[in-house]
Amino acid sequence: MTEASSGSSSRRSKGLSQAGQAKPLPNWDPLLRLTHWGIAAVVLGNYALTKEGGSVHIALGWAGLGLLVLRLIWGFVGPREARFTSFLPNPMAALRHLVGLSKGQAPHFPSHNPAGAMMAYALWACLAVLIGTGLLMTGATPMKQAELEAAVAAGDWSVLVEEGEEAEDDESPFGEAIKEVHEVAANLILLLAFLHVAGVVVESRVMGRNLVRPMLIAARRRR
Amino acid sequence: MSAVSTGVLAGRRRSIALALFLLVQTLAAVFFVGDAIADIVEGNVGAHIYFELLVAIALALGVGLGALALRQTLEELKAQDVALASARGALGDVIAAQFTDWGLTPAERDVAFLALKGLDVAEIAELRGRAAGTVRAQLTRIYAKAGVSGRAQFAAWFVEDLLGEGLDSEA
Ligand code: HEM
Repeated sequence: MTEASSGSSSRRSKGLSQAGQAKPLPNWDPLLRLTHWGIAAVVLGNYALTKEGGSVHIALGWAGLGLLVLRLIWGFVGPREARFTSFLPNPMAALRHLVGLSKGQAPHFPSHNPAGAMMAYALWACLAVLIGTGLLMTGATPMKQAELEAAVAAGDWSVLVEEGEEAEDDESPFGEAIKEVHEVAANLILLLAFLHVAGVVVESRVMGRNLVRPMLIAARRRR
Repeated sequence: MSAVSTGVLAGRRRSIALALFLLVQTLAAVFFVGDAIADIVEGNVGAHIYFELLVAIALALGVGLGALALRQTLEELKAQDVALASARGALGDVIAAQFTDWGLTPAERDVAFLALKGLDVAEIAELRGRAAGTVRAQLTRIYAKAGVSGRAQFAAWFVEDLLGEGLDSEA
């Protein structure tokens, strides 16, 4: 390009050259964003808002299961940034990334950075344990649980007779252990989520770029 | 907003709608399959379990196909974006070459680009931090160098270029 044209051409291709120089943030697809905020809502909602073991708590847990399943399917068939192959777990790389971050260097990655990837897997694993133990404890779908509660509310206590037998099972050390695991996992996921948000804030600061924005709305395309 | 950007916008809206739909579908599938499994565990297995199995398969297929459809929409969007950018780049190159041909000065090139983008004199003046009179004089010189009567003809020069290319590629 001639010297005379460089001034105006930079204006013309402002969007293009910006995208070329500053490495763009990942452009998270709508499904990934939907599952992210859905899972966040489920975790925080069940922690802060619902009655333990109530039908709303169970329903949210099932919604979490649906969100998790959908995200895992998306990890295989989704667009590149969403695929697991774009952010395979690599603890050493994650450590290196954190060390680099503490020195103010934050290299760019096309999907999650290695530390963020480890955190994503940890959160999903924790969620899976939570949902699994939750299912073992209730054994009922929210529909059945709601029916049960409605029946009891209507004064029909007979439904609890069957429940009672199961409740005895829950008294066994095994049932107690499941409950214990559920509670530990619940506390763990809150701790992880806190670290996760802290990580997002730190990395956004160090990189001088807002990581949250692309997770909220589609990245603005060059116009 | 151009016709092409409107298309991209519509595509993006469609992908959001598809994602929402897929989520609802997955929730329905998970709840339904869970209910069916609970039935089996409780020993409620009658003829209706076959019906439930059928519905479960249909729901699972729906989720899978929905995911593929969404991915395809997203890929189309990306391809459109790339095509748009390269078309823009190509048009930009044509314009830059023409400006060089006309012998526009760097300042005139900037003003000419802004004029092509549809900004009026006041807006160009504000963007460039110059007086409106300066911009008006620059525009007059640009039109003179290009041999056109005014802004409409100036813009038409490049549109004509595009249309000509369109016809060529059809032939
Ligand atoms: C309990 C709450 C939360 C959970 C369980 C959670 C979980 C996750 C998971 C699993 C991912 C990976 C996303 C994927 O690939 O699908 C992720 C990414 C992300 N989350 Fe969260 N999240 C929570 C809250 C939040 C909050 C409150 C924010 C905003 C401050 C946030 C911001 C982000 C961002 C920006 C990313 C993308 C990180 C990157 O660029 O690699 N998250 N989160």
